[in-house]
Formats: sequence, structure tokens, C-alpha cells
Amino acid sequence: MSLIIETKELVKRYGKFSAVNGLSLEVPLGSIYGFVGPNGAGKTTTMRMLTTLTRPTNGKAWIAGHSVTDEPRAVRRAIGYMPDEFGVYDDMRVWEYLDFFAACYDIAESERKRLIEDLLELVDLSHRREDMVDKLSRGMKQRLSLARTLAHDPAVLILDEPASGLDPRARVEIRELLVQLAKMGKTIFFSSHILADVAEICTHIGIVEAGQMVVQGSMDEMRAQLMPHREIMVTVRDNEAAEAVKSLVAEMENVVNVTILEPKAGRSRVRIDFTGDDDGVAAVNQKLHGAAIAILGFSEETKDLESMFMRVTKGIVT
Amino acid sequence: MAQDVTPVEWIDLPEESLTPREQRLERAATVLRWGAIANGALAIILIVLAFLGGLKIIPNLFTTLHTLLLGRFSSADDAALATVILLILVDISLVLVLMIGILAREIWALPAIWLVVAVNIVGVVLLGFTPAIFSIIAAVWSGIIISRDVRAFRINPVMLKELRGRMRGVRAFIVLTIYLGLMSGFTALLYLIYTPLAQAGGSASAGSIGRVLFVGLVAVELLLIIFIAPAFTAGAITGERERQTYDLLRTTLLASPSFVIGKLESALSYILLLLFSAIPLQSIAFLFGGVTELELIFSFVILAVTAIALGTVGIYFSAITPRTLSASIRSYTIALAVTFGIPIILSLPFLNAFVNAVAGYGSGVSSSPVVESILIYIGLILVSLNPVATALTAQQLLTDRQVIGFWSVTLSSDGSTIPLVSPWISFSIAYLVISTVLIVLAVRQMRKVEA
Ligand SMILES: Nc1ncnc2c1ncn2[C@@H]1O[C@H](COP(=O)(O)OP(=O)(O)O)[C@@H](O)[C@H]1O
Ligand SMILES: [Mg+2]
Repeated sequence: MSLIIETKELVKRYGKFSAVNGLSLEVPLGSIYGFVGPNGAGKTTTMRMLTTLTRPTNGKAWIAGHSVTDEPRAVRRAIGYMPDEFGVYDDMRVWEYLDFFAACYDIAESERKRLIEDLLELVDLSHRREDMVDKLSRGMKQRLSLARTLAHDPAVLILDEPASGLDPRARVEIRELLVQLAKMGKTIFFSSHILADVAEICTHIGIVEAGQMVVQGSMDEMRAQLMPHREIMVTVRDNEAAEAVKSLVAEMENVVNVTILEPKAGRSRVRIDFTGDDDGVAAVNQKLHGAAIAILGFSEETKDLESMFMRVTKGIVT
Repeated sequence: MAQDVTPVEWIDLPEESLTPREQRLERAATVLRWGAIANGALAIILIVLAFLGGLKIIPNLFTTLHTLLLGRFSSADDAALATVILLILVDISLVLVLMIGILAREIWALPAIWLVVAVNIVGVVLLGFTPAIFSIIAAVWSGIIISRDVRAFRINPVMLKELRGRMRGVRAFIVLTIYLGLMSGFTALLYLIYTPLAQAGGSASAGSIGRVLFVGLVAVELLLIIFIAPAFTAGAITGERERQTYDLLRTTLLASPSFVIGKLESALSYILLLLFSAIPLQSIAFLFGGVTELELIFSFVILAVTAIALGTVGIYFSAITPRTLSASIRSYTIALAVTFGIPIILSLPFLNAFVNAVAGYGSGVSSSPVVESILIYIGLILVSLNPVATALTAQQLLTDRQVIGFWSVTLSSDGSTIPLVSPWISFSIAYLVISTVLIVLAVRQMRKVEA
């Protein structure tokens, strides 16, 4: 697996305050990488360092093998950047906007016309070609921005909160567009403070908090890392029975934790955190049946992505 | 929003990983830079020698230099030396303009480079101006380098973008109409006020009416430039920052010189449009007579050069200040100081020397020829820093003595003569060199990255 973005112990200090504090990032080629963290976590600062707009105080970063600090122009050639603020030129038409940026990327005039048509087609704005940029809706501006980042056919797109401030429909459109771009072979590195935005389309994810990486990895790895942690819920008649269940299973293999929960509808419940496989679950069940405890219910809770991350990040990401 | 527009520190960006095209442009620009440096070194040496020669320390120095550097130009030796220095300075400004044009990949740089070569060859053939060799070598060399990639040169995207915006719809048209309306009204007013006054005074020749109209129009245009040029450019970089488009541009491959020149070109082309559109009005003054074509050309050169210089002042402050407002205030301060402050200095009595010299009196300021000539040269330099004083002096020299380029003054202290130029030339050189320096500084500032 080759990395297209890599940072090592990246630090950015503003005075005494560390906006980014030893962040190590690994974005594999061809991935859709969700960079998630609450507001103020340092996502924008990290992206500004990656896009050569600001210098790291410490640490190193490479994009497509080029050092961000030593080869900024090579890095710029490799990236398409969409900042969190949409830069509007008020006196400009949609096609002029793209034409200008394509020219800034040194694309010959003869090729630009064709390119603009293709890009507008891609982001579904062909019908707004002649409209003024500042008259577009926010969702359209965002798509136009995305088209702009593609003008020079970069390998990586660095998108800062591409879905923020959009209505649900526009959000879905952007998401679909990102998936489509990934299919075209672009690596997409985007930030969000909303986990749900990320979870659906990402192949990789990195969770950042207070300028540091909390966890990162592929979605599959994350699931594998979390899935063995099963939750078995045992319902019994009263507290006494609950205590009996607890003492019975506490010593078993692969049981991490046993908690007696508040009684619900007059029944006591025991939660067993379990890391074993299906045979193990069956063993627990058998053991309980073997003992003289009246079991009213035995179930394995399925956990959604949300709670899985809540657990890893100790609830810092909402 | 946590983006700070005034980062405390800036760090120079390394000039790495240039594409072959960028390397070629960089090399061509470097060659020209060395051409300018060689010229500059020679000019400094000559200025030093001129002083030594003036003090008669080295015998026959002027004659030797005359035959060596300007062999085919028949004039007094000292005037020849002054001409050589002047021509070198002209060459320096041309080469610097070329250098910036090449870095910015301006399409006009292609013909301009061969034009400079041609002009210099003409200088060698007609005047025996041997120092042209520096500029010729530099220009030909860089011309050959860039000829391998002519397609690198294109219409500046920033200029195109700015002009599209500025010229869009009816607004530009309305502005132009209002401008021409005001100018016509002003001309009519001037005519209506001046004619009866002059008739009462018994001097109402058609020529004098023409003169007044002409001078009035040029004065209004100058005022216009002083107010418009900085306004158009002071927001060049700060405006992009405030619109949050600056970061977008900085992550593209657009080179900083292209950006700066594009902004400058768009401002200048609009100003030129205003100047050109007023030419029909000026030709009315022409019809009355009393104004020569030369005066028209001088005034146009002075106005254009003023616009370039004030435009670059705006861009420079836009690069080093965080906000458009403060950039504008600083640019206007400089523009007003230059246009109105310098005349005040000029009116100080100790600068009478130059004023008297122009008027053709003996300067009568000192009994020492050295002091007297230094004072006269300081006067010339100060006049050359101000468009109004430059225009008035050039015009006075033209009408009174038919001086177009060179003239000389007989010192009242010892009766020897010193060579001088009409200030429109020295003014243009000074302003173009200052503009180049400001552009280079602005580019350097843009290349730095937030620390
Ligand atoms: N130029 C700056 N000067 C001072 N502090 C800054 C600057 N830029 C960002 N910060 C601070 O750094 C922290 C991280 O900001 P940011 O990277 O924008 O977070 P995010 O994008 O994750 O919301 C914030 O607390 C912010 O106030
Ligand atoms: Mg942010």
C-alpha cells in the first residue's frame, strides 16, 4: 500500500498554543479519507500545511513523495485544494471562473474550452455556464469549487469541510460526486466535524482531537478492531439472579467486563462485554443454562458505527 | 474563523522543482538581470569618472570616453558623456522591464526583446554607442533561451479576469461616458472663462486659448491618474485576501510576477483607455494652435509613466499591508507627497539654481562651479521625481529653447557649461526603475509563506 499523503509528527504552534500537536497521518493512494474532529481540532491548520499555505513549526509532510516544505510547487501540482471558505469573485461567470483557474494552472487556451465543458458536465452545472458565480446556491458553489480543484487533473483532492453548511440534498450530491471522483482514481482527503458524513463513503478515517490523532485506519480495520467487542445482554428476574450471573461468567475466558444495569420494567439486566467468537457466545449461554438461574432473555446487541466511534473516541466526536 | 491575515513572520519559499519551462524563463530573466547589473556598474563608473573629469584630475578623460563610448556622436565631450550615462540608464530600464515581462510570461515580451536589440543596434550604428553591447548580448541570449518555448508566453490570465470584470455590462460604459462628459464640460468652462479674460487683457490669440485648454486637460488627467491608479491597484493583493481567493491563487501554479503584472496591466489598460478617449478633446486644443505634437507626446509619456509608477506603488503596499484600506491610505500618502510635496521642496530658495538655469538666467547661487553644478543636478533630480514639475519644465524648455532631449547650462561661477537632459527623460527613467524595484519587492513578499 503506497501512501500519497504522509505526515510525521506535524506540529503547528501559534505562539504558545499548539493548533496541531505531533500529528502523524497516512493517506493511502486511491482512498477516500475522512479527517474527522470537532471544531478547533486542527483540521484546517493541517490542511493549510499540506497545501503549502503555512509552514509547519515542526515535523514533516509529503504529498505524492514531495516534501511540503522543500518542494511546494511540486506539491501544488499534485493537489486540488478546496478551502472551507468559498472564494467568490463577484464579477465573474461560471465558465470564466473555471477558465481563469485553468489558465492559472498553465493549461493552454486551446484545451481550456473543452476542459470547462467536461468539468461542468461532471459537476452537473452545464446549464449554469453563463450565470454569475455569486448568484449560485451554496451547493452549486461548492460543486463549482470542486470542479475548479480538478482543472489540472491532480492526484489528490484536499477538501476542507466540503459538506458543511449544505442542505441535506446538496450534501448527498457532494457525497456522490466524491465517490465518483474516487472511481476516477483520485485520492480524496476531506475533513468534517460530522461523523455521519464521513462514515458512509470513506474507505479510511482519521479522528483528530486537540491537534492529535486519536485513531486512524481503514474502515475495515476499525470494524475488525471493534467488532470482537460484543455486548451480551442477559435479562433475569431480580437483582439476586443478576449477581449470580455476574459471579458465574466473570471468570470466563474472553469476558472483559460484567456490569449490572439498572432494572428495567421490573427486570434486572446484566451486560457482558465479550471479545470471543461465536463459539464463545454459545459457551456463555450454555454455562448460564447449566446453572439454576432463570434466564428471561439472552441477546447480543448489534452496535452501529456511531456508538463504535463514541467508544473509541471517548465521546469527543459527535 | 481562525485565519489570521497578519502573520507575524514570513519565510522565503524555496525556488525548487521548477518545470523545464519555468527553469528556462528563470534563466532568461537571470541573463537580463546580469545585463542590467553590467549596465548599472558601467553607469556608476562613468558617473564617478565624470566627477573626476569635471575636477580635471585626469586629463583628456572626456575626449577618450567620448571616442570610446559614443564615437559617432558629434558634440562636446562632456555632453557626450552625459548622453552615454543617460542612454545606459534608458537601457537599464528597458532590460528590467523585459526581465519582468519574461518572468510574468507576457506575450508582449517576445517582440519587445527583439525591439530592444534593434534599438541598441541602431544606437551602435548611428551614435557609436558601444555600451549597448551589454544589453544586446543579454537580450539576444535570453531571446534565444525563450525562443525554445514561445508557447510559454500568453495573455495574462489575471489581466483577462480583471478586465472581464471591469468591462462587463453597462457600468464601464457609463463610467466612460461620465468621464468624457465631465472632461468636455471642463473644457467648455475653461474656454468660456478664459476667452473673455484674455480679451480684456488683450492677449486672446487662438494659440493662447489652445494652450490653456491643453494644459487644463492634462492637469485634470494627471489629477485623475493620481486618484485612480492607486485605487485600482491598492486592493490587488489585499482584495484577494479579503475575498478569500488569495489562498486559492497561491495553491495554483500562477507565478507571483504574473499575478502582479496582470493586476498592473488591467489597471493601466483602463487608465490608458481613459487617456486615449480624451484625445479627441485634446485635439480641439490642437485646432486652436499654440500646441505642438511634441508637447502632446511629452504629456502622454509623463501621464503614462505616472500611472505605471503610482500603480506599482499601490501594488507594493497591497503586498505588504494586510488590508485594502491601509494599503490605499499609504499609496495615496505617497502619491500626494510625490505630486504636491516635492513642488514645495522645489520652491525652497536653495534650489533656485535649477529653476534659474531653466529660465536661462545665470544661477548665481555660488561662486564655486562644483557647488553650482551639484545644486543644478539636485534640482534636476528633484524635478524628475514629480510629474507636474517635470511637465512644466519640459514644456518651458521646449517652447523657450526648442529643447527636446539634451541641453546645457553655462555656469555663472566660471563660465563653463554642464550638460543636462529635459526632465521628461530623467523622470521616465527614474519612475520606471522605481516601478521595477517595487514590483520585484512585491513579488518577493508574495513568494513568502506564512510561518
Ligand atoms: N492563524 C492562527 N493564529 C492563531 N490561532 C490559530 C490560527 N489558525 C488557527 N488557530 C487556532 O488553531 C486551532 C485549530 O484551528 P483549525 O485548524 O481551524 O481547526 P478545525 O479546522 O479543526 O476546526 C483553533 O483553536 C484556532 O483558534
Ligand atoms: Mg476548519
